[in-house]
Amino acid sequence: MLTKVFATIAVVITGGLLLYGVSDFPAFGDPHSPANAGVGNEESISQYFITQTYKDTKVPNIVTAVLADYRGYDTMFETVVIFAAGIAIFAILRVTGNEAEKKSIKPPLDSSINGDHQRIIVGTTCRIVIPVVQMFALYVVAHGHHSPGGGFQGGVILGASFILVAMSEDLNAALRRFSEKTYLTLACVGILIYAGFGLMCQFLERNFLDYGILQKVLFTDGPEMARSHSMLGVEVGVAFTVTAIMFAIYANLSSRGVLKNGL
Amino acid sequence: MIITIISMALVVGGLVFFLGASTGLIRFPDFYTRMHAAGKGDTLSSLLVLLGFAVYQLKDFQSFSENWLVLLVIVKLLGISAFILLTSPTSTHALMDAGWEDEVEPEIQKGRENHLNDDYPKF
Amino acid sequence: MIFAFDIIILIFLVVAAIISLSVKDLLSSAMIFGIYGFLICLLWAEMGAVDVAFTEAAVGAGVSAVFFIATIYNTRRRSSD
Repeated sequence: MLTKVFATIAVVITGGLLLYGVSDFPAFGDPHSPANAGVGNEESISQYFITQTYKDTKVPNIVTAVLADYRGYDTMFETVVIFAAGIAIFAILRVTGNEAEKKSIKPPLDSSINGDHQRIIVGTTCRIVIPVVQMFALYVVAHGHHSPGGGFQGGVILGASFILVAMSEDLNAALRRFSEKTYLTLACVGILIYAGFGLMCQFLERNFLDYGILQKVLFTDGPEMARSHSMLGVEVGVAFTVTAIMFAIYANLSSRGVLKNGL
Repeated sequence: MIITIISMALVVGGLVFFLGASTGLIRFPDFYTRMHAAGKGDTLSSLLVLLGFAVYQLKDFQSFSENWLVLLVIVKLLGISAFILLTSPTSTHALMDAGWEDEVEPEIQKGRENHLNDDYPKF
Repeated sequence: MIFAFDIIILIFLVVAAIISLSVKDLLSSAMIFGIYGFLICLLWAEMGAVDVAFTEAAVGAGVSAVFFIATIYNTRRRSSD
């Protein structure tokens, strides 16, 4: 009880301070605030992104350009954070051998009338829906620099489609299609693709993740198109890692780390 | 003008079904009838609202060569409608079935309990 | 940005957050947390941040609720406080 009182007091004080801080903010969408108009005669950073992104990179979606190119180093380590989360779940939950026998969940009784109805209706719908979901996920990844989307979103949707397989049939069916070895490899490959793009720039005597120089390798018309194509490659790497880690987390959580007879 | 009227009629019809679905969700007595109201009303009303939006898009349509982007939006809306038409009844069915397997008791009229157990045996 | 929408969504957001914290049944709490994710997604989409809204719809409303439910399935369903 006492802890709740103290927690409430702490929350109220912190919230009050935050609200007090918000009162100094400029209004939402105010064109004259320093973030939008710049200080003095200097151009602000958002003005730079809005006016120069298309000239620099030939990418219409500014958000993707900022995430994958201008702030590429940041996004790379966001991907590493997701990878680390998946590895942590794996390290904590995954069990093998005798311990797995003890912890494994018994498979539910099936072959009853109700169970068959369930399997037929849900299974049929999922068989129709899952390919569409996966196509949409690939579209989101591949079209991320022209419309909203990108590696994270597409990867999550692709991972969710495998989770849907696991939920509509069972975990074993999903693991037959996307085994443990495959998803761990895919997670590492995604990070390596991203870091590989960065290292490739270093080999061509530029900074890490400075994609413009890759026109020599990608045979594009100029540094702009090289940056655009490199963004696509980087997004594909992010999507690999996120897909694999999402499915890994679900598989380990739902089967208590045994990877058999899960939810 | 006629397009606006049709689309508004579709959207308002959808909202009426939404109202029916939420009323049923509150007023019906047990889990199964509530799911019935929510599932049926939700599917039809979402479809009607989306079709209304799709019809409203035709307002700007003049010729195919100029306004093909409008048709693209309509195709996307129809795709969402097809997706909802497939998935929403399935999810309702899955929830109902989970409730039945979990032995959520339906509210039955006195004297008709045996009737139900004959038709849908529990395991 | 439409002010009336903002106010309505923000009110629902606060209500969903409080209910999700105070409910004893963890399964209901997870579902209401999913609703909270969808409301945040709506708010961002309405403010023009489409990419963030997309991420929130996929992660916050979709996958994280599945993870919560998978965890609750293998642990206890009742909250201790």
